[in-house]
Amino acid sequence: MSTPFIQCRELTRTYTRGTERITPLDKLDLDIDRGQFVALMGPSGSGKTTLLNLLAGIDSPTEGELLIGDTPVHSLSRGRLAAWRADHVGYIFQLYNLVPVLNAYENVELPLLLQSITRQERHRRVSNAMEAVGITDRHKHYPRQLSGGQEQRVAIARAIVTEPDLLLCDEPTGDLDRETATSIMDLLQRLNRDEGRTIVMVTHDPATTRWADTLLHLEKGRLLEHEEVTT
Amino acid sequence: MRILPFEYAVRNLGRSPARLLLTVGGSALVVLLVLTATGFVNGMQAAFVTSGRDANIILMGSGSEESIERSEVSMQTSGIVAASVPGLIKRAGIDAVSPEAHVAIPIKGIGEEGTMSVIRGVEPPAFLVHDEVRVIAGRPPRSGGNELLLGRLVARSMGFDPPELAIGTMLEIDEDPYEVVGVLEAEGGVAEGELWTSLTDLMATSQRDSISCVVVSMDDAKPADIEAFAATRLDLELIAMPEVDYYAKLSAFFRPIALMVLVTAALIAIGAVLGGLNTTYAAFASRVREIGTLQTLGYSRQAIALSLIQESLLAAAIGTLIACGLGAWLLDEVVVQFSMGAFGLRIDAAVIAWGLGTGLVLGVIGAILPAWRCLRLPIAESLKAGE
Repeated sequence: MSTPFIQCRELTRTYTRGTERITPLDKLDLDIDRGQFVALMGPSGSGKTTLLNLLAGIDSPTEGELLIGDTPVHSLSRGRLAAWRADHVGYIFQLYNLVPVLNAYENVELPLLLQSITRQERHRRVSNAMEAVGITDRHKHYPRQLSGGQEQRVAIARAIVTEPDLLLCDEPTGDLDRETATSIMDLLQRLNRDEGRTIVMVTHDPATTRWADTLLHLEKGRLLEHEEVTT
Repeated sequence: MRILPFEYAVRNLGRSPARLLLTVGGSALVVLLVLTATGFVNGMQAAFVTSGRDANIILMGSGSEESIERSEVSMQTSGIVAASVPGLIKRAGIDAVSPEAHVAIPIKGIGEEGTMSVIRGVEPPAFLVHDEVRVIAGRPPRSGGNELLLGRLVARSMGFDPPELAIGTMLEIDEDPYEVVGVLEAEGGVAEGELWTSLTDLMATSQRDSISCVVVSMDDAKPADIEAFAATRLDLELIAMPEVDYYAKLSAFFRPIALMVLVTAALIAIGAVLGGLNTTYAAFASRVREIGTLQTLGYSRQAIALSLIQESLLAAAIGTLIACGLGAWLLDEVVVQFSMGAFGLRIDAAVIAWGLGTGLVLGVIGAILPAWRCLRLPIAESLKAGE
């Protein structure tokens, strides 16, 4: 049996707000294999986003271990985490979070500027990513000139352009209509099945879980249920 | 460290034209203030430094407390000095011995009510002793004609630009009409803020019977020779002082004013920077989520801070360049009147360098604190901003 791609061991995150101590993630044990498409569900405050932030390396656990690939993410310094994120993680936000002063092409190119590659290689990868999400005709458009669905496609292109091992999605269809949401979920599923990318997606919408192959329920910072999804 | 593209900083400037205008305008005003203050000090120092000649010794009244304006010297002194002290400069039969009267007097025609100005009564040797003085237009005043030679800065302060346009103007000194017959320049020295006339005419107009000082230029003579002359001729009641020392003392006397001007400018500039910090913080704070996004993509805090500083520096640089352009165009040689005459603000390369330095500091300091406040937030918290 192969080693899981993501290994969470007694992963705990605690915050202090005033005198109150909050533990959104409490000794979580979880394994995710390479190439899995995991949907994370649970009520507000259940720890979904906290887990996603820890997996993304934009937050650090208070206790426990987090191994992604061979990297002990829990022990990386702030600087090393930034470099690790640039190489290994693609993050898709609910509100797209595109940079408004950059056009679609430049937004997609942004993560590649952190890598030591030639301009031609950068251009090739940006073109491939934009083609993969179907927005090649929008490369000169600024975010304000795009629809919500198009913005999310640009955001997905930006997330996959570095060819990351791990795609993290924070309610990627939360701000989209049903039809656009379906096309976005189809796109994510294609990236998972065709390119073998590991995807962890936080969602409130049970309808979007059918694209995932695994559904995890979190409650009060603990794993409540773990089920395989049959489509 | 991988940094954000420069275009990102440039384009961010255009996000809020009103905010950009405020930042550029604020920087320009601060830099203009610094240029004015440093130009003031520079002009004042230059006037005193240029005015003193190593070869010149001033003989003034011993009870004058080393002030030419308060000094009284007998009319015969210049003739006695020329005859008694060997080794003074002599050209075309004229000894470099210049009897002078320095009188501060209101002159009608300069300003509405008549502005207090320094008028210097001289004889032809004055141009030999003060070799920095050149008549750039017209001619020197003749004795008995109530004629004036205007310092270049006085002409400019009267609104004559170029200064030679002042020739032919009538001025009134103590109810006597005087005609401007020429304009002088003195390499930025104090004479540029004075009016020169014939010594005889000034003595008559001001009803004086003594002159203020005698200035001599040494050739082979030593300062000690002239000091010995002053010490032995007790009847003349003289003290001898090197001209350089005289202007150095004058410069030291005005140093507190220069310091006050600089301190005031610095305090106002600091106040403006503190005000500007709010504007910059507002600009950065509205982009906290974007900053969190850039960090999520893998950009380091330092890279983002650098981009924010670039942005602030760009805005400050625009303001600074505008201010330096305006300063060089409008402030250079603006006349400042003071009790001993006038001097011009001097906006030279050193002053412009101060302005550019101030702009640089404004740009960097103005961004560091707001950038730090935005970047110290945890990334996860930044991403929630504006929700």
